[in-house]
Amino acid sequence: MSKETILSGTDLIKRYGSLEVVRNVSLSIGAGEFVCLVGKSGCGKTTLLSILSGLEKPTSGQVMLDGKNITEATEDELALFRRDNVGFIFQSFNLIPTLSAWENVALPLFPVKMAGDERRRRASELLEKMELGHRLEHLPAALSGGEKQRVAIARALINKPKVLFADEPTGNLDSATGDAIMEILKNLHTEEGVAILMVTHEVELSKAADRIIRMHDGEVIA
Amino acid sequence: MNYSYIYKELIHHRHRTLVNILGIGVGIALFVSINAVSTAYQEAISLPFKNLGADIVVQRPEKRAIDSSQAPAAMRGIRVPFSNQLLPEEDIAKLASIDGVAGTASSLLLWEFDKGGFRTIMGVDLLKPGLGPVKVKEWIRDGRFPQKEGEAVFEKHYAKFHHVTAGDTVTIGGRSFTIVGLLEIREGSQIASANIYLALDDAQKLLPGDVRGVNVIYLRLQNPSLLGKVKTEIAGQVKGVSVTSSDSFLELMGGVSKISEQFSMLASVIAFGGALFLIIKTMLTNLVARSNEIGILKAVGWTGKDVRKQLIGEALVQSLAGGVLGLFIGYSISYLIGFLEIPIATPWEINLMPAFAKDTEAASKVVRLPVSISAGLIMASIVLSVVTGAISSYFMGMRTGKMKPADILRRL
Repeated sequence: MSKETILSGTDLIKRYGSLEVVRNVSLSIGAGEFVCLVGKSGCGKTTLLSILSGLEKPTSGQVMLDGKNITEATEDELALFRRDNVGFIFQSFNLIPTLSAWENVALPLFPVKMAGDERRRRASELLEKMELGHRLEHLPAALSGGEKQRVAIARALINKPKVLFADEPTGNLDSATGDAIMEILKNLHTEEGVAILMVTHEVELSKAADRIIRMHDGEVIA
Repeated sequence: MNYSYIYKELIHHRHRTLVNILGIGVGIALFVSINAVSTAYQEAISLPFKNLGADIVVQRPEKRAIDSSQAPAAMRGIRVPFSNQLLPEEDIAKLASIDGVAGTASSLLLWEFDKGGFRTIMGVDLLKPGLGPVKVKEWIRDGRFPQKEGEAVFEKHYAKFHHVTAGDTVTIGGRSFTIVGLLEIREGSQIASANIYLALDDAQKLLPGDVRGVNVIYLRLQNPSLLGKVKTEIAGQVKGVSVTSSDSFLELMGGVSKISEQFSMLASVIAFGGALFLIIKTMLTNLVARSNEIGILKAVGWTGKDVRKQLIGEALVQSLAGGVLGLFIGYSISYLIGFLEIPIATPWEINLMPAFAKDTEAASKVVRLPVSISAGLIMASIVLSVVTGAISSYFMGMRTGKMKPADILRRL
């Protein structure tokens, strides 16, 4: 597994008015590395993840993702960059309620010029891997929490991302289902070689990671 | 733009979709029905001229002042109406030579008085089949139009009232005529609705003395937009004549028609503007409710343009559906309004009846509103509904452009 840096943040600062949420953070993640960002609620983990994934811009500092400085990019450039390079898994799944499971998985591909059949084939393939082949046409409302999160993982993988960003991916799940989701993430890391940056406040979950980064009051402490 | 996503979004939120479609539909329906009725009103007013194929009628009223409400005590036999004195040949030639005049036809209108009352007689120029009262040939119900000397056509109701019919021989102005046909006056044709129609030559022979002539000239213009210009030309070149056009009916309807025209425009704008405001407000409110979804779309790689295209697609589908619904409702309303009848007053100078006549039927005709939805109105409605969608989309685009995925996702 290569340890070449795929993602790095340098001197990152994020302020909301006078409130400094991320304080001079620098870190890097190697390709295929599984890193956990841990810390108490409100310590700035999610904001740092948003900055590193290109969802949000830092007040100052620089983010390099796969060799590209994304700090200077426009909103639309960032959107395209996210679509082609990263995947997201959220605590609250964030599925579109009106779309079926396979359509939710294919959502990032909707604006891409591609045959509808090809979209469906790729989405179905990923859902099969998530053992949801029998749920292709179901709406999110008809899925359990674990199934929803597996759909969200499949969506995050549809563009073969270089880095997967997971924000408390088991936070809304019972422990058994959470374990199953963690198992999937571990497999993605070991078998697919996807770099993962996972935010969690549960120390137990972080044991699955190659490396743990701890945050406190907006700063990386270890 | 993903059509499946658009369809599912609209179907899933069917209540919201229905409210939007109904809002646009009501706006378009009001726009269509108000405009259709307004156009029908104008159409009804132009009917008297349209039925004659003419744009302008020229006559020469008697110069001396008369009290037209009183019948002269000594009036008996054939005479020309006060407002229809014979026109000199040179005046007729001048009228025909005016720029913009495509054709002329003439007729001779006469009144015949006797102890029992009076009747109107119209001598028709049979050589101009598409212009003037000769067009009443198209309204023959029984028999035919006069082809030779001594033949007459009677208006159906007049004939019935006087117990005569086709084949009977009658005396008109002391001369003997055979009734060869009966006709029925078409709706809104009061300026040609005489009791008796004769060939122009025959009518001229009824004039007292050795005079010949005509007293009504019908002008057809090359283009209706030349109406004002030609009327001005006539006033300058031919003195002492009265010039009447469908405008005269409009002026006679006065306030009603003008208010109707202005009101229809204002009401259309208000109706449509109100609907537009409602739709934009509803769609923007919906957008706030959908901000989570927009945050997700942007997070997974949709650009602002991709999001806008999706919203435009949804707005256009709703707008077009609303437009079609509005057209249907508007047509239905207009169809029902088409059953209404309106009275059209005739300007006195082209009213064939004497002003003192008790029977003033011809002075005011009741016609059904000829309501129809033109292709132009259909196009305008569709364009307006699409404009509604486009304007809503523009505002939604502005709003979504400001939405940052991180801000939205932080709230989820």
